[in-house]
Amino acid sequence: MKRLLVILMLLLPVAAMAQSELYKQYASQEDLAVAQVSGFKLNETVRVDVVLVVADNEAAWNRLKEELDIRGEEGVNSWLGELKQPVKRVKWNGKTLLRVIASHARRTVGFYRIDNEEQYDALLDYQLNKMKK
Amino acid sequence: MTENEFDKLWQQAEVEGYSQRLVAEYPGWRRKQQRTISMVAASLAVVVLVVLVLVAQLQQPQDFEKVYCNRVGTTDAQWASLAAEILME
Repeated sequence: MKRLLVILMLLLPVAAMAQSELYKQYASQEDLAVAQVSGFKLNETVRVDVVLVVADNEAAWNRLKEELDIRGEEGVNSWLGELKQPVKRVKWNGKTLLRVIASHARRTVGFYRIDNEEQYDALLDYQLNKMKK
Repeated sequence: MTENEFDKLWQQAEVEGYSQRLVAEYPGWRRKQQRTISMVAASLAVVVLVVLVLVAQLQQPQDFEKVYCNRVGTTDAQWASLAAEILME
């Protein structure tokens, strides 16, 4: 039994390493529900990692809006943000960045990590194809 | 008697047919047997754990690989679904 516990203790840090910095940054805040969906499937060959942040209440949502400079009161805001500082809006430059989508109605922000052009294109195709259906 | 010495004696006893007597007379035999059983049980537990993890991964829906979450109450599939819905808003 002791050996089993030792193995489990060794596996825990491995699991922690798989969590992104973005996930860790928000997961410690009590009024935010946070999830990291690793390997979210966009099509048969392309997957991305997604961090979802859901505010429990209006105060938490307002804090998120201020932190990420989200304007307006309804609909969605979408932009490409820097990996380390998602609030910074950037144009697609081939480097790793985040597609950030903020939904006012759901008080939710989704961060879709894009590492390459294939993922960038697949994400756009996913949005277009799903909206057509 | 060390374990090595006992192992040699045990092999000899098996060949010469007095292993039952050795079991009855050697006081460390039970402890040795218990240690062996514990090691086998621990190894089996690890194997079962790995198999369970692999089976769980295989049974997961194919539209995501893994979900980490800071709350209970929402399933992995619900989070993956939210990731899809936000994209379509």
